[in-house]
Amino acid sequence: MAIAARGPSTADVVRQHLQGRRIDYKGALFQAAILVALLLSLVILFVLISQVVRGGIEVFQERGFDFLRGRLTVVSASIAGVGQGIAGSLLLMAFVVLAAFPAGIGAAVYLQEYAPDTKLNRFVNVNIRNLAGVPSIVYGILGLVIFVQVLGPLTGGKTVMAGGLTLAVLVLPIVILTTMEALRAVPGSIREAGFGVGATRWEVIRSHVLPAAAPGILTGTVLSISRAIGETAPLLLVGATTGLLATGGSGFFESLRGGYTALPVIVYRWTSLPNEDFRALTSAAIIVLLLLTLSTNAIAIILRNRYERKW
Amino acid sequence: MTVIRATGFRLLFVALALALIGSACADQSGAGDTGGGTAGGGGEGELAGQVVVSGSSTVEPISVAVGEKFIAQNPGVDVTVEGPGTSDGFELFCNGETDISDASRPIDEEEVQACEKNGIEFIELKVGIDGLSVITSVNNDQVECLDFHDIYALVGPESEGFESWSDANELAEKIGAGHAPYPDVPLVVTGPGEESGTYDSFAEIVLEDIAYEEQGIKEDDPVIRPDYQASANDNVIIEGVGGTDTSLGWVGFAFAEGATDTVKLLPIAEEGDDCVEPTPETIQSGEYPIARDLFVYVKKESASRPEVKAYVDLYLSEEGITSVNEVGYVELATEDLEESRQAWEAQETGTRESS
Amino acid sequence: MAAIGAPTGAMDLRGDARRRRKETRIRRVFQGAAVFSVIVSVLIVASLLGRALFFLSKVDLSALWIPSRGWYPRRGVFDIPTIVMGTLVVSGIGMLVAAPLGLGAAIYLSEYAKPRVRRILKPILEILAGVPSVVLGFFAITWIIPNVVQTIWPEAGFFNMMGAGIAVGILITPLVASVAEDSLRSVPGALREASYGMGARKRTTTMKIVVPAAVSGIMASLILGLSRAIGETMIVAIAAGASGGSAFKINPLEPGQTMTAAMTALAIGSDQVRGQEGTFESLFFVGLVLFFITLVLNIVSERFVRRVRKKY
Repeated sequence: MAIAARGPSTADVVRQHLQGRRIDYKGALFQAAILVALLLSLVILFVLISQVVRGGIEVFQERGFDFLRGRLTVVSASIAGVGQGIAGSLLLMAFVVLAAFPAGIGAAVYLQEYAPDTKLNRFVNVNIRNLAGVPSIVYGILGLVIFVQVLGPLTGGKTVMAGGLTLAVLVLPIVILTTMEALRAVPGSIREAGFGVGATRWEVIRSHVLPAAAPGILTGTVLSISRAIGETAPLLLVGATTGLLATGGSGFFESLRGGYTALPVIVYRWTSLPNEDFRALTSAAIIVLLLLTLSTNAIAIILRNRYERKW
Repeated sequence: MTVIRATGFRLLFVALALALIGSACADQSGAGDTGGGTAGGGGEGELAGQVVVSGSSTVEPISVAVGEKFIAQNPGVDVTVEGPGTSDGFELFCNGETDISDASRPIDEEEVQACEKNGIEFIELKVGIDGLSVITSVNNDQVECLDFHDIYALVGPESEGFESWSDANELAEKIGAGHAPYPDVPLVVTGPGEESGTYDSFAEIVLEDIAYEEQGIKEDDPVIRPDYQASANDNVIIEGVGGTDTSLGWVGFAFAEGATDTVKLLPIAEEGDDCVEPTPETIQSGEYPIARDLFVYVKKESASRPEVKAYVDLYLSEEGITSVNEVGYVELATEDLEESRQAWEAQETGTRESS
Repeated sequence: MAAIGAPTGAMDLRGDARRRRKETRIRRVFQGAAVFSVIVSVLIVASLLGRALFFLSKVDLSALWIPSRGWYPRRGVFDIPTIVMGTLVVSGIGMLVAAPLGLGAAIYLSEYAKPRVRRILKPILEILAGVPSVVLGFFAITWIIPNVVQTIWPEAGFFNMMGAGIAVGILITPLVASVAEDSLRSVPGALREASYGMGARKRTTTMKIVVPAAVSGIMASLILGLSRAIGETMIVAIAAGASGGSAFKINPLEPGQTMTAAMTALAIGSDQVRGQEGTFESLFFVGLVLFFITLVLNIVSERFVRRVRKKY
């Protein structure tokens, strides 16, 4: 009993430590800090959207559908609209999907699934990482020299085709890297199970690895699409029209090799116009641009979340 | 595993399909756009073909405004108007890539030669005048008039570091500026960036002669102090100037005139006290000293194409030329406009303006 | 069917020729795609090099490296430190914003958030990733600068590198968060459980076990973010204020010029002044410099990442 008088018993001390009764102030502080970081990002998004909506909603109230069909101009705010911008951006996206996705996913499969860990392949890896960090405006120069000048006879010069191919090359490394990341997350045991029953590498990839990695691949491709839609700088170099654009008689295929514009280019141009009327139009154009990029994102996020799995 | 496989591929497939559907819609919305144009067009909408306009970003709004009217009448024509700049415009023009080149200065000798080399003949048409306004805050009652030497003392190359108007007193005294001494109030200079035509015109008209000929600044050195707030956005220049009571800046007349609740347009004299207020009348008559002519150059070969001819016809017609006013520049005096019309009528090639 | 009793030979294990041919063909196709990515790099360098060299042949090389002269390409003043410093200031501010926000958000989402909360918050963060830079440029001049920068520093002008830098930080935050979160979540749960089993707290487990285990991904997230910040163009072109040229500036409250904004200014053109021979070509030279900066950055980080990468 003398022991008890000296303080809590060893058993009590151990129990207390195991139960962790002491409040973990530092832990709570840490948790609060990172929560604030997260919430701050969300608040910024909220402010941005409310700011833009407040500025642009009147255009939709007054002009409605007319604004969505209006043409690019920098003089008459009353007839200016984003019709050609929407059309141009969707066409550019189609080029990205058709050119960058197959090439990007293919390259990622090779590098992640086939390529032995040699110096050369490591170089290719580093190279792609570097490409992902190359500023978009440098891709604009690439587009200007290669797609506008060298391949001019094919693309027709400063056309939507040149712009689309430029954006496709721009997002290629992003597609490759995110796809590789998704493939890497698929456990080796799945592959080994496939090999174990005698499947070839391609058969394993097609029937097991790719399907398992599909949600991750989807995230990457979607991020790359929304990046492509929002890209402005390279398009300024490969000749998106910023003044007045009218495509009177051209059909669909002719227009692939004709003048074009894109939503973000319109936003940029209108941002720098002095005319007060264009400020509301800029906000309205941003609403359309955000709807386009954010809805693309949202669709894919929903799809991915439905199929997401953790190994 | 089959379940995962099916869904995985379906996901990719859906993504691709969505994008393709999107692009198909793009085609339709493009078609809808031109369809709308057709409905609004008049009875003469028989023209087809294309008109490609490039050149000065200053003239661009005029060409766009004329283009808007043109498209309404001729929905079948492709029109593009761009404003990369006068020099870039002439480069394209003399390579035969454009039909019409907008210019905020006459074509220069080198450019004439480049055109000649490629067999490009052109018709030079003066279409309007751009005045430049020297502005300060509407609250500034300390300054009423400036001459070119005053401006040099305040924003010229030797004014670097002046933070108060009175810092320029000594320099102003030396070069004989008409309105020194200046008040001892903060001097904040805001103006267009050096990529802008307004920067160049201002430098050329107001400062270059004083700098190179009187002050012995080395030819081709900058003639505007580097430490000023530069912006490509005229709104921002106006806001910047309006934001400080004793600011100083310069901007196109059109923009300044539209913002008189924020900025004050200073009367200017080339020399001495004959200060002239910038108004459409004084700019047109040449009394107000800081103004430049605006031109379009039409390729002779293109001029024979009906759609280009129709566009230029409209440009010089009453309906078209009012665009100059609508976008904020100053219309030509009647005889100057008549001269342009005659040159167009006669398809008179070559430049009368080039030095 | 091999006869009963006959040993299974190597031939039986090699599969049939048709399958192997198909295998080879597919491998070639994928390899081709990978090679294409190398070709892109070659094309980039080729596009840049010719005219960059032309530029170098037209200017006084020693004049490229005299700080304080400023960057005024149309007057023939090409001072590389001016635009490099502008880039450093803007992307530095961007990283100061994005690193804590992005990593904080990533750690919270991966380690702390309840699954239901995470399912709601993460998509919202990903939506922020979809906001185009040109929109953030507009946001910078219409909201960030007047409401944040000029509130904290009333002496700031309407255009400044601070506003542009904050917007750049907002732009890259979701990128940093997304990549970092993915790598945190790829750390096996067993490691966390082992840590708890030793009596470690949540924060200790997170910072001492999970974060170090995911460090390669976290580094990758920061590097991707930095690359994007250095290369970000539209925000700076709209909000940083120096349009055609700029003096040498370090103070982020002043307008400044970055490499990318300098390139945009050259690309958009000038109304009247073409500048002398080589002015437009300086665009290609700056592009080349930018390209090599990102190259060096990535090679260094790749080395680092390879050294610490752990495989699960």
